[in-house]
Amino acid sequence: MSGRTRRRLAEAARLLAIALAVFLAVLPLLWVLLASFKLPADVAQLPPRLLFSPTLQNYRQVLDAGFASFFRNSVIVTLGAVALSVGLGVPAAYGFSRLKVPAARALLLFVLSMRFVPYIVFAVPLFVMLVRLRLVGTHGALIVVYILINLPLVVWLMKSFFDDVPTDIDDAAAVDGANRFQSFALVVLPSAAAGVACVTILSFIFTWNEYLLALVLSGRAAQTLPVVLTRFLGGMEDPVRWGLLSASSVVVLAPVVVVTLLVHRHVRAGFGGGAN
Amino acid sequence: MARRAPSASAPSRPHRAPNHQSRLHWRETFGFIGPALLALVVVALVPVLWAVGASLYDWHFHRPAARAFIALGNYVRLAGDQRFLNAVWVTLIYTTVSVSATMVLGTLLALLTKAPFPGKGVVRALLTVPMIMTPVVSTLVWKTFFFEADQGLINWLLGFVGIAGPAWVASSPYAFMTVLVVNIWFMTPFVYLVMDAALEGLPGEVVDAAKIDGAGYWQRVRFVILPMLRATIVFTVIFRITIDARMFEIIHVMTGGGPARDTEVLTLWVYNAALRSFHLGYGNAGGVVLMLLVGAACLAIMLVGLRDLYRRSVST
Repeated sequence: MSGRTRRRLAEAARLLAIALAVFLAVLPLLWVLLASFKLPADVAQLPPRLLFSPTLQNYRQVLDAGFASFFRNSVIVTLGAVALSVGLGVPAAYGFSRLKVPAARALLLFVLSMRFVPYIVFAVPLFVMLVRLRLVGTHGALIVVYILINLPLVVWLMKSFFDDVPTDIDDAAAVDGANRFQSFALVVLPSAAAGVACVTILSFIFTWNEYLLALVLSGRAAQTLPVVLTRFLGGMEDPVRWGLLSASSVVVLAPVVVVTLLVHRHVRAGFGGGAN
Repeated sequence: MARRAPSASAPSRPHRAPNHQSRLHWRETFGFIGPALLALVVVALVPVLWAVGASLYDWHFHRPAARAFIALGNYVRLAGDQRFLNAVWVTLIYTTVSVSATMVLGTLLALLTKAPFPGKGVVRALLTVPMIMTPVVSTLVWKTFFFEADQGLINWLLGFVGIAGPAWVASSPYAFMTVLVVNIWFMTPFVYLVMDAALEGLPGEVVDAAKIDGAGYWQRVRFVILPMLRATIVFTVIFRITIDARMFEIIHVMTGGGPARDTEVLTLWVYNAALRSFHLGYGNAGGVVLMLLVGAACLAIMLVGLRDLYRRSVST
């Protein structure tokens, strides 16, 4: 076999492997999306029916089951938690990047170490405390608790984004008479806007998808979608309910999948910066 | 927006009286980082310390009056608790297999997609889909549509090669495999994204030089590319361990810890002990053990991985 043929074969094998990986990565998403539009007669068919008469019946049932109010819970908790974590974390990251913070390394290590603690260790004490404060099942409690998931991420990622902004522009702002806060808000922050987008999206994904803390702390009144999904679908072993399962799953997935695919660049930036 | 002054000629900041300046500096610093640190102390550090404290008590949630300090009594009991030791073992295997598999697959995937090809941007975006999908939903999809015994995709495919597939989720040892498969599928994109970005940051000249020296592809990967990525690999492994060692949702949704506690990882054990049986002291002691195990594993990997890196950088 000539060298050229071999190279072509290797390239073909590479592209095939990539195609297979992409197929496996998106298969569950495609499957549940298609199934959500299928009638009970079609949904459990194998081989899967790619041509079928689509129905919105499953989505109607999801609406009838009161999913709207749970969706509202998820939206309130996620928006609140993201705003709080980004609002607290971005100035802190600026401080660690630009100001002389005493014991900065130790403090940053403390922030990071909180991300490495297993969530169940937080969940039990928080449950007992929130029961005593009669705050289990409130949106506010979940919003505050989600600081512990998002804040370390926001501080660490944003610090690396701020570190990438040259300090020349701080100096220029100081020459122009800007005080520290003006320099932060009007000069440095806009230069790190991509970083803010990145941490906002990552916090959004992690909060929207979170299950354990929501399961333990959301009571009845503040149940977010992942919790509802598992409670709501008892008896889903019955193929008759698979369409319903799919439609409710798609409702849960839609916000994160749409947002992530639209701004994938920022998600990727987070992981590139986060581990280097 | 402020005008930009040429940085080379920019004078230092306006001079102020030192005392005033240091006080101002302290207030500034606290203003920026204080709220975040306070918040983290309240919602994270206090609960962790509380958990450690509670683990020293015999304490049932519904019998607070009977709470008694027993020092390390809970830990002594844990050491002889078969169900707990099983959970430690399951966590160890689960984390080891899942971290190793995702590291290998994610790195391979990053290497595969390194050279340009048409549609690379779209492929990259699609490869991240498992990681951003709500884990509860992904697990439900795998469980219902793929692993289902009679009408699932996998057993249907196995049927073509004459294999009658098992009841995956309900039988031993297959249940353990199902949670591993979903975890690996879920977390490979994370490793892929990190390694992909790290590969992009490599100096191309070094790799090219090795190519000119006649090194084959795998030689280049083994002796040039991977060594340069060592720090990234070490930190990624640490991240991966902390995520898998606390994994809850995939297992809770897929098997609930069964069958016969085959899949009861430590997180699930603590959940059952502290929040289902309400033995707060005993359950928290298990949580503290989990935290210490994760910490020890991360520390060990950091020391081993980075000491080696240090030696390498000194010798070259």
